[in-house]
Amino acid sequence: MNQNAIKDLLYKMADDQLILGHRNSEWTGFGPLLEEDIAFSSMAQDKVGQSWQLYKILNELGESDPDTVAFMRNAEQFHNSQFVELPNGEYDFSLIRHFLFDTAELIRFQMLAESSFETLANLAKKIKGETKYHSMHANIWIKQLGSATEESISRLQDSLDKSMPYALGMFEVSEFEQELINEGLFAGEEALKAQWKSKVTEVISETSLILPDMESITPVYGGRYGKHTEHLQPLLTEMSEVFNVDPTADW
Amino acid sequence: MLKSLDPRVNRLAIPDDFEAPMAAKEQLDQFETYQSFTQTKEGKPFEHAGTVHAPNEEMAFLFAKEQFSRRGTFCYALCVVKTELILVSEFTDNGQDVYDTFKGNYSGDTSQSFEVFHLLKRGKNHKHIGTVEAKNFEDALLASKETYPRDKPVFNVWIAKSEDILMSDEEDADIWNTLKEKKYRDAMDYKAADRIKAFKAEQG
Repeated sequence: MNQNAIKDLLYKMADDQLILGHRNSEWTGFGPLLEEDIAFSSMAQDKVGQSWQLYKILNELGESDPDTVAFMRNAEQFHNSQFVELPNGEYDFSLIRHFLFDTAELIRFQMLAESSFETLANLAKKIKGETKYHSMHANIWIKQLGSATEESISRLQDSLDKSMPYALGMFEVSEFEQELINEGLFAGEEALKAQWKSKVTEVISETSLILPDMESITPVYGGRYGKHTEHLQPLLTEMSEVFNVDPTADW
Repeated sequence: MLKSLDPRVNRLAIPDDFEAPMAAKEQLDQFETYQSFTQTKEGKPFEHAGTVHAPNEEMAFLFAKEQFSRRGTFCYALCVVKTELILVSEFTDNGQDVYDTFKGNYSGDTSQSFEVFHLLKRGKNHKHIGTVEAKNFEDALLASKETYPRDKPVFNVWIAKSEDILMSDEEDADIWNTLKEKKYRDAMDYKAADRIKAFKAEQG
C-alpha cells in the first residue's frame, strides 16, 4: 500500500470533517428552532467523532496522536477544502453547505466501503448509518425550504450560487490520485464528483431551485494543498483555545 | 458592544444599549406538534417517546430521530403522528379501567384501520397494543374494548388512524447504527482539582 497516498486521503477527509464539525457546532444554541438546534448539533458531534476515527487510523500509520494532529497544526498544514472553513453566515448557507458536503460524504464513504485498505473499508461500513441520516436530514430540509416561500427559495438559491465554486473545490485531485485508483484504495475524485452531480441534480430537481451550470464554473482549489482563506486560522485558534491552556493535560 | 465569554456572541456585534423590545407578534407562530413513538427492538411494542414541533411529518420524523433515539437509547424503528390526529380518551384513576366508561357496542365495520395505545401506569408512557378496524374513532375504542382482554386497568387510551402515521422504512434501520465510541465527548477524566484549588486560594 502506498503510505503517502493513503495518508493524504485520510488527512483531507478527517480535516473536512473536523473543520465542518466545528463550524456546524457554532450553531449550537443559535439554531432556528429547538429541535433543529439539537439535530444540527448532534450531527456536528458525529462529524468530529468521525474525524477522530480517521485521525486514529493515521496514528496507526505512524502520524502523531489525534489531539496533537487536530489542535497543534497551523492553517497551511490542513488539507480540508476551503468550502468547509467558510463562516456560517445565515442558516440558508449552512443548510446548502450541509447538503452539498454531506451528499459527497455519503457517496465517498459508500465508495470507501469497497477500499482495498481494510481498516478504512470497515470504518466506512460502521458509519454508514450516521452519514445516511445526515444526508436524509439535508435532503428533507432542501426539499422543504426549496419550494416553500419566495424568501426561502431566493435565500437558498443565492447560497447555492455562491457555494457552487467552493463545493466543486471539494473534488480537487490529490497528487497521488492515480496511485489511489490503481491500488483500489479509492475510486478517485472524478468518479465521486460524477455520482455527486447526479444526486445533487436529483434533489434540486424536486424543488423550485435552479442548479447553476457546473461546467461554466471555475472550482476554488487549493485547500487540499494547504492554501486556505483568511477564515481558517481564527477558527483553529478558537478551537484549540482550551487545549492550548495545557497541551499536556490528561483528558 | 456587548461583551460575552462566548466568542460567537461577540461576533454578533450586539450594541451595549440593546434594550429595544422585540417586535410584537400578532399571534403565536409555533409549528404544530407531533407525537413520536420508538421501538427498541424488532417485535417489541412501540412506546411513546415525546413531542416535537415541525412544519410537516417528514421533518417531525427528522427531529424525533435526534431527540428520542440517540445517546444510548437503542432504537429499531420510529414513527410520528400529528398530535391533533390522535383521539385521547378520558383519564381514570384509583384502579378504574377507562374501558368501563365506554358505552355502546362495536359496529363490526372494518372500513378503516386504527392503532391503539394504552397507558397502563400513571406517569409512564403509552404503549402500542395493536391495530383494530372500525368505522370511526369512537367505534375503534369499542372495537379495542372487545379485542384486548385486560387483567390490569387501563387509565387512558390513544387512537390514531394507521394511515396518519409516518413510519421509518425498514431499510433505513441502519440510521441507528452509530459509532459506539463517544469518549471524545466526555471530559470526565480531566484532572483539574489542583488548578481549581489554586484558583480558589488565589481568589482568597
